[in-house]
Amino acid sequence: MGVLTKKLIRTIRTTLGQFLAVTAVVMLGISIYVTMNTSYHTMMYSQDKFYLDNNFADYYFHVVRAPQHVTRHIEALPGVVKATGRLQEDVPIVKDGNERATARLVSYPLPMDTEVNRLQLLEGRLFDKDSQGGGVEVLVDPQYAAAHDLTFGDTVMIVTGGHQVPLTVVGTAISPEFVYPMKDASTLFPVPETFGIFMLSHRQAQQILDFSGQLNQVVLQLAPGADAERVAARVEDILEPYGNLAAYPRDDQLSHAVMQAELEGLRLSSIYLPLIFLGIAAAIQYVLLNRMVRAQRGQIGIMKALGYDSGQIMLHYTGYALAVAVLGATLGSGLGLLFVSAITGLYGQFFNLPLVSARPDYAVVGHGFALGLAVATISGLTASRSVTGIHPAESMRPEPPKGGGRVFIEHWGWLWTKLDPSWRLSLRTISRNWVRFGVTVAGVICAVGMLVVALFANDSVDYMLHRHYYQDQDADYVLNFTAPLPEPELTDITRLDGVLAAEPFFQVPVKLSFAGRSEDEVLMGLPADAVMRTLFTDTGRALPVPETGMIVNETAAAKLGVQVGDQVQVETRLGLGPPRHSTFTVEGLNHQLIGGGAYVSLEQANQALQERNLISGVMLRVDPGLAQAVESEINAMTGVSAVLGRQQELDNFYELLDMMVASVAIMVGFAAVLGFAIVYNTAMVNFTERRRELATLRVVGFSFRGVSGLLLKETFLQSVLGVALGLPFGLLLARGMIEAQSTDLYSLPVIISAQSYVLAALGGILFILVAQRFIARGVRRLDLVDVLKNKD
Amino acid sequence: MTAKVLVRLDRVTRDFTMGEVVVNALKETTLEIFEGELLVILGPSGSGKSTLLNILGGMDQPSSGEMWFGGRDLSRSGDAELTRYRRNEVGFLFQFYNLISDLTARENVELAANLVEHPLPADQILTEVGLADRMDHFPSQLSGGEQQRVSIARAAVKNPRLLLCDEPTGALDYQTGKLILGLLAKVNQEHGRTVIIVTHNTAIAAMAHRTARMRSGRIVETRVNPAPVAPERIEW
Repeated sequence: MGVLTKKLIRTIRTTLGQFLAVTAVVMLGISIYVTMNTSYHTMMYSQDKFYLDNNFADYYFHVVRAPQHVTRHIEALPGVVKATGRLQEDVPIVKDGNERATARLVSYPLPMDTEVNRLQLLEGRLFDKDSQGGGVEVLVDPQYAAAHDLTFGDTVMIVTGGHQVPLTVVGTAISPEFVYPMKDASTLFPVPETFGIFMLSHRQAQQILDFSGQLNQVVLQLAPGADAERVAARVEDILEPYGNLAAYPRDDQLSHAVMQAELEGLRLSSIYLPLIFLGIAAAIQYVLLNRMVRAQRGQIGIMKALGYDSGQIMLHYTGYALAVAVLGATLGSGLGLLFVSAITGLYGQFFNLPLVSARPDYAVVGHGFALGLAVATISGLTASRSVTGIHPAESMRPEPPKGGGRVFIEHWGWLWTKLDPSWRLSLRTISRNWVRFGVTVAGVICAVGMLVVALFANDSVDYMLHRHYYQDQDADYVLNFTAPLPEPELTDITRLDGVLAAEPFFQVPVKLSFAGRSEDEVLMGLPADAVMRTLFTDTGRALPVPETGMIVNETAAAKLGVQVGDQVQVETRLGLGPPRHSTFTVEGLNHQLIGGGAYVSLEQANQALQERNLISGVMLRVDPGLAQAVESEINAMTGVSAVLGRQQELDNFYELLDMMVASVAIMVGFAAVLGFAIVYNTAMVNFTERRRELATLRVVGFSFRGVSGLLLKETFLQSVLGVALGLPFGLLLARGMIEAQSTDLYSLPVIISAQSYVLAALGGILFILVAQRFIARGVRRLDLVDVLKNKD
Repeated sequence: MTAKVLVRLDRVTRDFTMGEVVVNALKETTLEIFEGELLVILGPSGSGKSTLLNILGGMDQPSSGEMWFGGRDLSRSGDAELTRYRRNEVGFLFQFYNLISDLTARENVELAANLVEHPLPADQILTEVGLADRMDHFPSQLSGGEQQRVSIARAAVKNPRLLLCDEPTGALDYQTGKLILGLLAKVNQEHGRTVIIVTHNTAIAAMAHRTARMRSGRIVETRVNPAPVAPERIEW
């Protein structure tokens, strides 16, 4: 072992606390990098493979009812490789105790070999093409099966065409289009208790849904490089006579869109989080090595006098940073690879995706190492570049007192004269070490910012839920009918014991068009005096439903490019009857956090369909004491396709939020390590650098408290500034994260409660105090005689 | 003396700018140093002797004038050339030993040995300076005299042609000081190295082949000593 290496090792030993603190930061940075990147790649690779293996559709078309042979015309279009015609229909499931659930029946032509959107069997066997006397065979999505304890041979009763049909479960299966089996965008996440995917043979589906020789969905595989929009337009032309309901590319497919947003979030975090950590690690090492070089000025002078050149000496100091990097990256990679299976496992719980086993991705580990070493080299060389300026002859004389003179605060006489000498000393020290001060403050800002980010998600979801369930939609239950009803029939429901108020609505799927652009939306007809559904502007002002004209949600408005006063074309896309066309003037734009929609009066919604007095659902407020009774009553009603209970929905959400606690805890832990490491290191550097001065103060008569108080003042000033700036930085960070991850489905508002700010600030102060305890210990142990006698 | 000239200073000056004041630490100094001689440079503090030594050692460069070592004009050399010069030709001894506190005695010597292609064996040198059983001690575990002996070993291990000593006994007691001077004389006599000792202790001049006396940045007198005295016989 070379002598300089030995020196390096001993230097590490004497600064072990600092070495370990900065190593921990590098370790966390690299582990996050390795974990997130490997997870991201594993997920992406799994997704790609799953999509490819099962020929996930490039484009979706929903029609009212079209003959099966239409797929042949579509397949003949240039750019289309394969068109699969199938049936998809949501039907009620009959459950014990009148509970509600929805089955999404999806049909698969057999054999499936070359079809688009194939499925992958998990358990059991594939359903038979025809009924074997044992009823209709189905495969169920694994989450629904688990939630209902379904096993081979179990029967599930559904209602279709007015009568009950038994389905026999023969296994579980997954498919690229149901990786995230959400019912629709407004449910935000899968609720397997009330929604399941039921897969069956196309012929069987045609029989039970009364679609003989027909389909209601066409899914396409496009040729590579095909112009999707042009192909889609031509497919819509072909399907026009059969009633187009919706057409959208894979990017807008619900499950895919949610997963993409999730993966994008993962990808972004995999970049910015490690950068924060490595940046801070670099900053700490800079401060540490910079001070080490200054303190060892004499030794550097000797080495130079002996004949070492600046490069060799700089490399020696950089070696310290490299040792940090190698140790940090080794531990971080190991830790990261351990975490990978945990993270992908977590995703596995959310997504029905066969995970390609997360192999250690050595390229990612290699990049992690390279990143760590690069950062170390840069910080090491930058910190030790002052070596070149050290003159061997001069270096062996004591360093001249640093440029005295006044610091800027001294120019504010009125303030300066009020400060006691220890404050003055602290302020001068800070002013003369601007870089160190700045680096520390930056580190504290990052740590506190991370604390804010760790805590904010809860606040935001809380806010979003409260806003959605108590302001936008302030109803205890929302019922959807299987088919539109005349409004007077509502009395059956309003008369129920416990129903305090009822407000009808009429929902019609429509296509909104404006200036050549179009969007599929839901037209929502509301009574003029609606109180259970309220629209708000982006400034929070309530928007009444206009008698004429419509209100459009901001997201759709932005996509269409419409503004208040514009005329929007509306084409109804209801499964029943021909499409109707009408024009509405946009009277206002509403801001909502969940889902979309265009809002008109109940009358206008009816007019759009050339109907009168129809409603498609109702919102209820019920007596809390009688909620149970009301719920079982409405569950028993035929003609009601779905019931959303506010409490149930909120419970589901909070259950999901509880799963986030672990990740919040990890983030908080990481932020704490970061904050502690930077504050501890700077305080330690300040302490070591000024041992002699501090010892002198002790000799002069300063108490132990007085001396450690002096250091505390400096740490305190740095940290207060760091905390003060860290809170708004956290807000910015949170905004950036949300911006990157928000989808059409929902946009999380960045809401940070006072409580979160206080907790983040307290967290910041806590790691300052912990770091200070270590320093105080150092002050207590100062051997005055020894310090004053020895030159470093 | 007809010996070969090892170093030649020709009208060397060195100015330091301290704020607005320019200090002429060395004024037009001309001096020849011969191979194998033991030269003692005397002078009170502030007379410029350390500045002269620093220039001789390639740690500092003249403001004007020339310094020749062999056929090389080092007053015009760049940093790399000076580093090479220090590495291969010069050994230093400092008043405060300036050992690296994190390295043991042996390692301090090896630190220097590693720099040259053909160093002398570190253990042997340490044994010669009487530290055979103290090699693995850290500087903080050694007395001042022992530290200075390590320092001599460190300087000698590179087998340099020029050994420069800045007040080598300045921080030592009388007995230990004499011991150190004895070692320096040994390096000079037995290994034939050129040794330059800078000191304000005039008694040391007795062991020199030649003395140079400095005052206010100038060499005011050089004198050949016809009969150098062994260091152990010097009294002060």
